[in-house]
Formats: sequence, C-alpha cells, structure tokens
Amino acid sequence: MAERRTIESTLSGSSMTGSKETLDYRPTAVMPDVKVVKIGGQSILDRGRKALFPILDEIVEARKLGIQVVLLCGGGTRARHIYSLASELEMPTGVVATLGKYIPMQNARMVQMLLAKHGGIYMLPDDFEKLPLYLQMGCIPVMSGMPPFGYWEKREEGSRIPPHRTDAGVFLSAEFLGAARAIFIKDEDGLYTDDPKKNPSATHIARITAKELTARNLPDVVLERVVVEYLPRAQWCKELQVVNGLKPGQVLAALKGEDVGTIIRA
Amino acid sequence: MSNPTPRGDDGRTHINSRLMRESLQNKDVLSGTDSERDLQIFPDVSLVSIGGQSIFDRGKDAILPLVAEIVKIKQDKTVKMVIGVGGGTRVRHTISIAVDLGLPVGGMAQLVGAMEELNAILLNTLLAPHGSMPMQRDHFWDLPLYFDAGITPIAISVPPYHFWEPPPDHGHLPAHGSDFGLFTLADVLGMKQVIFVKDEDGLYDKDPKKHKDAKLFGKITLTELMKQFPEDNILDQELFHAWKNAKNLKRIVIVNGLKEGQLTRAMRGEDVGTVIIKEDARG
Repeated sequence: MAERRTIESTLSGSSMTGSKETLDYRPTAVMPDVKVVKIGGQSILDRGRKALFPILDEIVEARKLGIQVVLLCGGGTRARHIYSLASELEMPTGVVATLGKYIPMQNARMVQMLLAKHGGIYMLPDDFEKLPLYLQMGCIPVMSGMPPFGYWEKREEGSRIPPHRTDAGVFLSAEFLGAARAIFIKDEDGLYTDDPKKNPSATHIARITAKELTARNLPDVVLERVVVEYLPRAQWCKELQVVNGLKPGQVLAALKGEDVGTIIRA
Repeated sequence: MSNPTPRGDDGRTHINSRLMRESLQNKDVLSGTDSERDLQIFPDVSLVSIGGQSIFDRGKDAILPLVAEIVKIKQDKTVKMVIGVGGGTRVRHTISIAVDLGLPVGGMAQLVGAMEELNAILLNTLLAPHGSMPMQRDHFWDLPLYFDAGITPIAISVPPYHFWEPPPDHGHLPAHGSDFGLFTLADVLGMKQVIFVKDEDGLYDKDPKKHKDAKLFGKITLTELMKQFPEDNILDQELFHAWKNAKNLKRIVIVNGLKEGQLTRAMRGEDVGTVIIKEDARG
C-alpha cells in the first residue's frame, strides 16, 4: 500500500487530537491598541434614541482623541423572540444560533447609519483583515457581535440557546486582535450578586476574578458564561469591563482606559 | 400575542415572548428552552468523512479505489450521502508554521480550511462525472434537490469558527477541526450516521501504528468508550465533548478505507470497523 506522503514539520507526526503537545509558542498580538466595544442589545439598543445617542457621542469623542474603537452589536428582544419560537419547535441549537445572527446584524446596520457621518463603516464578521485600513482612515467599524459559528454551534447541557452569543463574539474578537480588555456597554453598573432588575437587594461587584465568579455559581450573571470560562485561558484579553452606558461619561472613561464599572480579570 | 410590542416600565421595549425581559444567562430560563429531543431534518442521510492523512496523503493508490467504491454505492439511487474530507499533512504544516510565527489561535483556525478544500476539489474532480458537487458552506436547503438529482454534495468540513476560535483548554492549537465540523453538521441536520473513513480498521485503545498490542474497539457505547478514552485518538477530542450533549446523532462508524467493501457495508448499516452508539440519542 502507498505510504503517507508527509511534509516534515514539528506537527507531522502528531495526531493533533492528544493533549501532550509541547510547542514553543510566543504569541504575536495582531492589533493590540484597538478597543473592542460591545453595545448591548436589550440593555441599550432596544431603548432607542434616548439611550443610544449619548453613547455614540462619547464614542465619536473618543475617536476624535485618536482612540481606535471597533463596535460590536448585541441582539436584544427580537433575538429572544425568535429563540423562544425556535425552542418551542425543538430546533437544534445550530439552527437557533443561525437565527440569532440576523438581529445583531440589523442592529449593527442601524448604528452604522447613525455613525456614517463620523466614519461609521459596516464590517462583515470575516473582515478583520481590513481593520488596519478602516482605523488608519479614522473610521469607526461597526459589526455584529455574533460569532459566525451558526449551524456549527455546540449544544450546552440543559439548554438549546446557543452558548456563544454576542458577549462571546466580543471577547473572542478582542482575543484575536490582541486587545487586553473587552468593553461591554450595558444598562447596569456591572456585575451584581443577582439580577438587580428583579432583586433590589442585589449588591454591586467592582472587581472580581473569573475563578471567584465561577465559584460563586450565581443564578444569573451579566455576561455569557462561556466568556468567564474562556477568560483564564486567554493569551491577550485578560480583562472584561462592564460599564453603564446610561450614566454620562462612563463610556468615554472606559475608552480612555479608566477602571469604571465592573472589571472581571483572568 | 395580543400586544406585540409593550413598552416596558423599565424603559426597554420588549416583544411578548417566553424569553421577554429575561436574562439569557439565567439557568432557569435556559432550562425552559430545552426538551428531550431536537428536530431531525434529514434522518435518512449518512455523512461520509474521508481522512486527509489516512487516505488523501497516500495519493492515487488509496484515493482511486475509494472513489470507485463510492461510485458503486451511488448506483443505488435510494442511498443518500454527503461527503466531507480532511486536510492531512498540509494542515499540520500550516499550523506548525503558524505556531512558530506566534499567530493567534483564531488566525490558525482561519487558515486551515483552505487545506481541506484542496482535497475537496481533488475528490470532486474525480466524482463529478458520476454526479457530485461542492456544497457551499451552509446551503443545506439545497440538499433535497441534490438527492433528487442523484448528486452527491461535498461539504466543507472545517467549521466556521475562524477568527473566533475559542482559546483552547490546553496547548495552543485550534480545537474545532474537520472531524468536529462534520460531526456537528450531521448532528444539527439530524442525520442517520457519520462514517469516518481512515487507514485503520477502526478505533484502538492505543495508536496501532506505534503499538503492536493495541486493541480494536468493536461495537461500543459512547458511555463505555468515555470510561476508557484513548489518549491518542483517531478523531478530534472536541467531537466527543460535543457528542456528550448532543440529542440527535446516534451512530458513528470508523472504517478502513484501504480495505475494499468496508465503506459499502457501513453505508448499509452493518456493524463494521468500530461502531460507537450513543444510547440516549434520538438516532
């Protein structure tokens, strides 16, 4: 029988499935100066003009200061609506994740229209290779926060909602770009011991590690659980910052690198 | 839904639905979306995955007999299959260079698909005269048309994790490769089985190329296999992680593509090579 024709390399003998890999890996950051920022769907975009406009003003101001910003949009209530219908119909998680792509895309297009006069440019998920151009031109790239997994999304035990949604997309984008921090603009001051919209006695957490957060096993968290799970394994993005976009000045402060809101560390 | 867009008293606009106002991180909310089963879209289709290192890297002597066997299988017009291919040694070379350069794991994941695609083009070139076509990434809704016309679709095997490949659990390599990609494709579409065509008679407890005393698994349940999971596995680990939570796919078969007839028998539903069964899957 014909032999395998193998190209010699450090991995040529590897099955690539085992856990014994020992490689010399010195990671290179792709675009470490970029601020990767999420605008929440339900928390911000669904509130409309009143919530969104002041946030965009602060982002434009940051851009004028020379801060490089990439915006990723969440889904919100329309995503929940389609998830609800799809769940009733017992759709596989991959189908639910595919349905979930459309709403953040709509939201990104809305934000682009609002930012167009300030250099807002709509970007497709696989367009990271064009980021250097956009940012050097002074643009504010806007894209969907949903990772492109779609039909290939994994099922999580006990749920058919895709575990990787727009928070995960924001974290994974920051990690790919080599940004040290991913910023999430929401309608709360950050992390609480429970959902503060439902439980008035929930208290604010300013700083916490991913490990501590996981150990608390909270019934509800402000960010998708996979993000907290991935954080300790990250090469670059070792901090998640959650800020309240409804409070003036918080977004600009976060973009300037100030520690406002909640910071979750690896 | 009497009032489709109530303005909530919290300043946010909600659409009436079971998940309205809910945090999708809440464990109770999440479990409310679940049920015993997933919808099965194409339950009579088999997915055939042809190994990169094991078959394609061996060249003509391994590829042509397998193509001839697939052509023969296709003569039975009731047989429905989708084919995917692995990338083999060129994937390993790509990643080894990328690791040396320190590229992020998402960058590596973005690069490797091109190497699998080369094998897909080779295969399609050989199968096209007998009816085959490369299928675009997620054009699943064309599948009834393909089957009706007797065309075998060749699917893209690497999943679109691309720049968003999650940081791996251990090591530095992307975890979501072509085995995982094809498994997920079969599971999300509710297919009958996945047949992995490799260059061994199935799955062994140790790498049979390195250990003469390696023991072949015959028919085994996923639960049993996980208790004695081989460290050096012929399939991606991520496939097994994902299969544990999956509801649809019941059967994975690993056969030797260098031995004529094994794929044909597996396609007929016979127990050949290693057959792994997930008991609680819908199947």
